[in-house]
Formats: sequence, C-alpha cells, structure tokens
Amino acid sequence: MTDKNEQFDQDNSSEFSDEAVRRFLLGGLSASERPLFEQRLFTDDDLEARVRLAELDLADDYAFERLSTPDRRLFEQGFLVTADRQQKLQVSKNLRDRFSAKPAGRLEKSKVAKRLKHLFGLDRPAWRFAFGILILLILFGTAWLVIREPRIARQIANRMSPRRSPPQSAPLKAGHPTNTSMPEHQITPSPMPAHDQATVSPASVSIALTPAVSSQTSEVPALNLPKGEQDVVRLQLVLKADQTGPYRAELVTSEGSSVFSAEALKPNDSRAKIDFDVPARLLKTGDYQIRLGRGNEGSRESLGSYYFRVQ
Amino acid sequence: MSPAKKLHILRQEEFDRLLSWLDPDPRRAGLAYEKIRWRLIAILAARGCRSPEELADETIDRVARRVIDIQDSYVGDKAIYFLGVMNNVHHEYLKRPLPPRLPELNNDVEAKENTHLCLEKCLDKLTANSRRMIERYYAADKQAKIDLRKRIATEFGISLGTLRLRALRIREKLQACIEQCLQMEPF
Repeated sequence: MTDKNEQFDQDNSSEFSDEAVRRFLLGGLSASERPLFEQRLFTDDDLEARVRLAELDLADDYAFERLSTPDRRLFEQGFLVTADRQQKLQVSKNLRDRFSAKPAGRLEKSKVAKRLKHLFGLDRPAWRFAFGILILLILFGTAWLVIREPRIARQIANRMSPRRSPPQSAPLKAGHPTNTSMPEHQITPSPMPAHDQATVSPASVSIALTPAVSSQTSEVPALNLPKGEQDVVRLQLVLKADQTGPYRAELVTSEGSSVFSAEALKPNDSRAKIDFDVPARLLKTGDYQIRLGRGNEGSRESLGSYYFRVQ
Repeated sequence: MSPAKKLHILRQEEFDRLLSWLDPDPRRAGLAYEKIRWRLIAILAARGCRSPEELADETIDRVARRVIDIQDSYVGDKAIYFLGVMNNVHHEYLKRPLPPRLPELNNDVEAKENTHLCLEKCLDKLTANSRRMIERYYAADKQAKIDLRKRIATEFGISLGTLRLRALRIREKLQACIEQCLQMEPF
C-alpha cells in the first residue's frame, strides 16, 4: 500500500493537480483543458484512480459542509447526477454522523422523531387523511355558520366598517394619539351593535332627514351634539315609497372623508324610515352627508343622499 | 421512453463480441468494460449531462453494434474508440430536450439507519490500524480537521498527502462494503 501511495504522491505532482481533478468533477474545467483531461482519463489508470478518490473526497467535503457556496451549488446540480454518487454521499453523511461530534445530534434527533412518529403511528397515511378531513370539516363548518347566521356576518361587517374608512379629521380615532405622555384607550370607535330593532342604542339626539340632491337644494337640518362620550346621534333617514332593503349607510364629511358606515340596516316598523345611529364622539362641527345604498359589496345600488349640519 | 432507452436493445451476441474484442480473457474483458463505463459516466457528468449513465450505455451499445465491422481493422487503444462514439452521442444529446434531473436520494430515516448499520458492520471488518485511522480522520471539522490530520500524519509517520490517500482508500473499501451490505442484508 505504501508503494501505491507514494505512486499517488508522484501523480499529485503530475500534469493534473488535485485541484484540476476536483474542477473536472464539478464541471469547471475550461474548454482548452477538458479534451486533454478526458483523453488522459481514458488511457491513464492512475488518473482514473485519483478521480475515483476525489469523488469520495468531494462527497465527504459536501457532507461535512466544507465546500464553498458556489461549489455546493455545482455539487448539487452537476455532481449528484448518478445513483452511485448519491450513494457515496449517503455514506459520507453517515460517516459524519458516526464520527463528527457536531452533527451527531442530528441523527439522534431524527431517530427520536422517528420513534415518536412510530409510537403514535403518525407516519401512517390514515392519520394524514384524518387530519385533512378534520381541517376540511372546520372550514365547511365555519362557512356554514356564517351563511346560516347572518347576524355573525353583520357583526363582522360592522366591526370592519370603521376600520376600512377611518375618519381622517380625527387623528386620535385613527390610532395616532398626539399626546404621547398618556396611552389613549378607546381611540377607535367601539364596535357598534347591529342595527337591529331589537337592540336599539340609547339615542341622545335624534333628527329626521329627507333625501336631497345636494346640500344647497334646501335648508340643511342642523343638530347640536350631546356632550356624553357614549351618546349616540340617531339619524332617521326617510325612505322613498318604492325602496326595499337591506340598506347600507355611510356618513361622510363635506370634504368626502368617510366617518362611519353601517351595513344591513332595516327600516323601522312603519317601513318609512331607517334609524342610522352614529356615535356622537365621531362628529364635529360641520356639514355631513349620508349616502344610502342597497345591496352588498358585490352589487351596490345608490338610493340617495341626506345632508345635515352639526352646530 | 427516452431516445437513449429506445436504442438500448443490444443482442447478447453483440455484447459478447464487444467483450471478446476488449479482451479475449472474459474476466479482464469484464473489468475493462466496467472501467470504460465508469469513465464514460464521469466525463458525461463533468460535461453537465443529466443522465450520464443512460448516455454511457447508449455509447456502449453503438460500439457493440460496430465491433463486427471494425474488429479486424481497428488499430490503437480500444478505449479511445469509445471516447469518439461518446462525443457523437453527447452531441446528439445536446440537441434533445433536457431530461428531468435524477430525483434526490431518499432522505428516509430508515434508509439512513440501514446505511448506518452497514457502516458499523464494515467498520468492524477493517484492521485495527485502518479503523483507528478512519475514525480519527473523520473526527474533526474545518480548521480543527487540519490540525488533527497533521497530528495523525505525524503519529503514523507519513505525509499529509499519504494520509489523505490512505484514508480515502479505506473510505473506498468502506463504500464498496456498504453497497454490498445494503444489497445483501434483509432489513
């Protein structure tokens, strides 16, 4: 063996260096080097032996994470193209796990994971199938609940409405307190209960509004704001005779900024008006418009506008 | 079926003729065949082929079919003839659509453990000296590896290059032993 090794030592100083052999394996020989190397590989048994050993060395270096990033990429894309080389890499990884202190834990971990999986039978297809069915059931159940219980959908929509259109004129309400010394609680409008006749909010101020083409066409109704933080302004929107619900109302400022909106509004018992309750704290002195519509996000029909002024 | 597979219908008499052309002695002819095939695969892989084994077999098939015409007149290293045919096969390969990559080796824990068991068996078959060398050779990482290998080389009274070659030769034996073990052992 010593003779053979010495012979290899001599070969290492021959016309192809170990580095050239390695570049050949990674497909990195230049176009001028390659033909000579290939011809020699076909006729020179010693070069073949060196290439065979270099294959093992390369697989070891990859497994022990000793290759540079470009070489790792070349190894993965250009070297691991035969089953024989993949098997060599498998043995290199096993040698690493067997003898190298650092990655040995990986095998131990994988063994523990495997044993746990076997213990609970989690690797069986039946478990995967069961988990898949469970997830589908949860999804269908949720969808069914939302469809069958429109109140839930309405509550979700009402909660989302103020967030979709934060009042630009009220920075505190938009979640940006100017006073940094004190944390500001309740800076966003509290979720409003659904506009259902069964759950009427306490209204401090009430005003009836009729549809108008613009705020200039008639005298704009005016109201004074209540002082209480929890007070509500009830805007009674008078409906035209042929209008049917459900309705959607949006309160906007004279500049067009959205202040508040509510979905799925229903007319009162006489079917002549809709009660549109707005938290008083969202209103400031100025002119407002209410845009009344019908339908949902998919198909929306405008039914008219109402104007009022806060004094 | 790929174009290479379509051609891979070699008659037994053609294959026998190829072997006897390589060497009249069947054992030496078998070794020569294996060497040529390995070299073809190594070169084709280095050229970036995704299916070097398939192209190597296609090359050998073509040579086998031509042996009847060239065996009396061909002069020179027979292995070089394979290289010429391989160049043609490779040239044709470059004109074909790219074949899919070889799937990644199964990272199944079970396969890994089987290899691990075979490794243990094959390590037991090594001489005490070889085993000590291979255990120490693979024990350290990166910079620690360089220092450790210098120490091992000193202990064994050999150069670093010789140490590397000896270790790789043991590694080569282990590889062959493990492959044989995986084929033979019922896990």
